[in-house]
Amino acid sequence: MIKRVMRKKIILLAAGAAILVLPVLVSNNYYLHVINLAGIYTLITIGLNLLSGYTGQVSMGQAGFFAVGTYVAGLLAINLNIPFWAAALAALVITAACGAIIAIPAMRLSGPYLVLATVGFGEIVRLVLLNWTPVTRGAAGLTGIPLPKFFTWQCSSESQFYYLIFSVVLLGTYIAYRLAHSKVGRTFAAIREDEVAAEAMGVRVSRYKTAAFILSAVYAGMAGVLYGVFSGVASPDNFTFDDSVTFLCMSVIGGNRSIAGAIVGSFMLTGMSEALRALQAYRLIIYGGVLIFTVIYMPQGLVGLAVTVRKAIKGGKDKPASAPAEGEWKP
Amino acid sequence: MQYLLNGLPIGAIYALVALSYSLIYAASGVLNWSQGDMVMLGAYIAFSLFQFFHVGFTLALLGSMFLVGAIGVVVQFCILRPLRKREAPPINVVIATLGVAIVSRNIALAIWGPEAQIFPSPVSSVPMTVGALSVTWQDLLIVFGAFCLMGVLHYLLKKTRKGKALRAVAQDRYAAILMGVDTNKSDALAFAASAALGAAAGILIAPVFFVTFNMGAGIGLKGFVAAVIGGLGNIPAAIAGGFFLGIVESLAGGLISSGYRDAITFTLLILVLWLRPSGLFLRKARQRA
Repeated sequence: MIKRVMRKKIILLAAGAAILVLPVLVSNNYYLHVINLAGIYTLITIGLNLLSGYTGQVSMGQAGFFAVGTYVAGLLAINLNIPFWAAALAALVITAACGAIIAIPAMRLSGPYLVLATVGFGEIVRLVLLNWTPVTRGAAGLTGIPLPKFFTWQCSSESQFYYLIFSVVLLGTYIAYRLAHSKVGRTFAAIREDEVAAEAMGVRVSRYKTAAFILSAVYAGMAGVLYGVFSGVASPDNFTFDDSVTFLCMSVIGGNRSIAGAIVGSFMLTGMSEALRALQAYRLIIYGGVLIFTVIYMPQGLVGLAVTVRKAIKGGKDKPASAPAEGEWKP
Repeated sequence: MQYLLNGLPIGAIYALVALSYSLIYAASGVLNWSQGDMVMLGAYIAFSLFQFFHVGFTLALLGSMFLVGAIGVVVQFCILRPLRKREAPPINVVIATLGVAIVSRNIALAIWGPEAQIFPSPVSSVPMTVGALSVTWQDLLIVFGAFCLMGVLHYLLKKTRKGKALRAVAQDRYAAILMGVDTNKSDALAFAASAALGAAAGILIAPVFFVTFNMGAGIGLKGFVAAVIGGLGNIPAAIAGGFFLGIVESLAGGLISSGYRDAITFTLLILVLWLRPSGLFLRKARQRA
């Protein structure tokens, strides 16, 4: 028992040390840039996993929350020149409100209807950003979002951004992990498995669903805040339906029923789309192919696959969770 | 009044696409996100038939519908069937069809390139004026073609044996299996018919818009919106939803603001979903697991 705890601690320490020294080892700014982007996407995907993997409410409109985060914080910083943390806080409050608003119609919907409602939300956000020119500057988008500054420490280089982004990612991962392994996480799972049964057991389904939407919105909003300061510019083109789809793919390919899956999926897809850049159009053909392959052959994502493999190696008696029941055919 | 009239052809297109979504959803319970890209493929294939084989418009239409229908069967066979065998959760099926959409869009990009292609209209481009209103012949052709296709679909579903099997599966999948219906075949038929309908929509709309590799995304989404606004899984409701959406868009674009046209559409969608999830033209939602 003690040994196991020790081992876990050592692994965590090693991971922490690796995260700390990574920018020193990776001297290439381009790689660091990609890693930073992946970190930002990780936040969105963690939120999405809480919402769709745990609670079973699929969203194809996360880019909407992402956009709201970027624009609220960016506009406050540009127009009113308020400090980074205050702008971030305001952005989180507004995205949380958006999450609560979209939760109202989502409460009564499921399956394709819910998917479409979230798509509609994402598109509405993008179209408003595009057309409400006096406030959002229309298609030109935001330029010159000021660099984040904490008292005297100004964050400007890739490695400084790395520390900023990854401290948020670590915090976000920790909160999500604790939530997922608490009563709240189990309640989310109960709603996913059977809403009616959960309700009958005394779970206030609507309250928890709203909470899940707000959580995912806040994660995406925070990612948006970081994205704004990190890239310095943002336009409605950065927040399209295709981006929402990408986030969903990260979540599903990594494995949407764990927090680790969010991290794996975000890093893998971000890395893959950068690595395949040279192939241009063929890149997305491969991307789509990987997507189809994943959902057919590893429905629990990469993390689910890893768990299955580990169980098989250990020779555990319990069958792998993702294996289909043989000989049984259901339409 | 002119706006109302302008909404009809685009409404007819939405109705066709909405129909294709509804048909698949009713028959196999799948939300097929690649429908929009079938529209795009239909337009491109017809364009190529036109250019390289110099076939007539009708022949291009039929050939393209046939080819895209075959693509639909391939999608059903290679993707839906293994997913069903593994009892994949519905969202994974949706994501797989998203994968199909991404793949077909980019294959089209690789084959036909990023430039928009101009599809020649088979009819005269001089608009016809009646009083204060004007319509182009192409618009008339779209509406006429859409109604013909709906008629054919109606006939196939109501009168043929395969169509009856399809409707039986839509009504109750288990019962249909017990009655000896091969659901794999009916699924394949639904995918083929839907893909062909989408392709037809693509060819009809092609002379009005340019043919581009990403034209499917917008039309597909709008078609799906129309299907849901009308009532997903029901054929008359999908048609009504299509025309309704076309007219609303035309009015919103003309009278309020063209920039906000789509935002108005989606707001309407969310309102409908919230207040009448079963759709405007259906009495109550069909329960579906």
